[in-house]
Amino acid sequence: MERSPLFELQRRMGASFGEAFGWELPWAFSNVLEEYETATQGVALLDRTYTGRLKATGKDALDLINRLSTNKLEDLSQGQGMSTVLTSNKARILDFFVVLRLDEHLLLLTSPQNRQKVAEWIDRYTFLEEALVEDITDTTVMLSLVGPKAPDLLKELAGMRLEGLSLYHWINASIGEVDVMVIRTDCAGVTGYDLVIPANDGERVWEAILQEGSDLGVKPIGMETLDIMRVERGVPLYGRELSEKINPLEANLRHSISFNKGCYIGQEVVTRLDTYKKVQKHLMGLVVESDTVAKPDAKLMMDGKEAGFITSAVRSPALGKHIALAYVRSAHARAGVKIGVASEEGEVIAEVVELPFSS
Amino acid sequence: MVDLSTISITEKAAEKVKYFAARDNMETFGVRVGVKGGGCSGLMYNLDIASEAQPNDKIIEEHGVKIFVDKKSYVFLAGTILDFSDGLNGKGFTFHNPQAKTTCGCGVSFSA
Repeated sequence: MERSPLFELQRRMGASFGEAFGWELPWAFSNVLEEYETATQGVALLDRTYTGRLKATGKDALDLINRLSTNKLEDLSQGQGMSTVLTSNKARILDFFVVLRLDEHLLLLTSPQNRQKVAEWIDRYTFLEEALVEDITDTTVMLSLVGPKAPDLLKELAGMRLEGLSLYHWINASIGEVDVMVIRTDCAGVTGYDLVIPANDGERVWEAILQEGSDLGVKPIGMETLDIMRVERGVPLYGRELSEKINPLEANLRHSISFNKGCYIGQEVVTRLDTYKKVQKHLMGLVVESDTVAKPDAKLMMDGKEAGFITSAVRSPALGKHIALAYVRSAHARAGVKIGVASEEGEVIAEVVELPFSS
Repeated sequence: MVDLSTISITEKAAEKVKYFAARDNMETFGVRVGVKGGGCSGLMYNLDIASEAQPNDKIIEEHGVKIFVDKKSYVFLAGTILDFSDGLNGKGFTFHNPQAKTTCGCGVSFSA
């Protein structure tokens, strides 16, 4: 299993650990309710070093990745970024990642388990293009600041007002005398910034954040709280909502698809599905009406027939209920529909809701 | 009979290559064929009249015309016949590739 360079420091701080994406990660530093409150009312610090970081160089790199994915990357200027879906020729999701345009290269932030797959896919489709992909995950650390007070904390740390930084735009900053790249990513569906830092300086920046941000109440949080927040806000995760069995229209990734950019791998299938309204299932929210926690992969039933399946399930502190993300067959994919969830205690009823969940 | 060990060019396509080279006053020339990633099925064909080969190209000669192809593209193009169709309904240069498994609706892209 992989570990962040900050593993020992986090262990000394009393974090409990768990496994995800092949990494041993901090699951919690205190308790979920406290961490949830910090992240949704204040500002929380997260170690997201497990995110894949690929550096793409060469004058043809942007054009190449533009031809392999759904969004209009050719529009990107320096300092900007956008999310895009890497699709197969059948429009299945190989990965959902962010492409950032820097001065001399691109930085790709991939799903943690897909960094090698993405690099190999780009290489496979590189013929005479000047394009090279290098995996820099191991030489960097990525820390995230999430919560409504994150811009205030960054002002204290880096002396910069960043409320106006648009989604996936980035700037260079200095924190704890270390040069970092600050990217607006809103990773958990709340205001959030990712900091990409040289691996050797990771601990220094982590400590600078906790020290200088103490008056704002910044605290570290773990994966359990992050998962609750992203489910509440309907943020899909590769390996749960996103996989090679799903297409981007099913997964609410329409915002990352350009319908007028011309050819890319899988374009014909995406356009056909959209034009003829052939999308067969949709990612929706479920509010479970009992105290049972619905489990990932649990089947959904309607009139004795399968009507979908659950992908993620958590208990929401904001709603005080068990909620889930699920793919629901199009005929039933609208707010207010009551649907059966198969569980160990028999079928329980859930209500389909639009995403994000609202309290 | 398809020969999967090479790329061929028809006489008609070869004449067209010579025509374009003469039009552009090229003293030495060949037709560069290749494959490019992208296109709805995964790959697209590339065709160019080039003055010379690149260092790692495979070179095939037929009907008085040299075909230049880079090694990576050659894997996907082995067995391909490069043809030319003109006239009102002509498509211009066309690739007949026995390795192409699927093609897109517009005929521009293929997978292999």
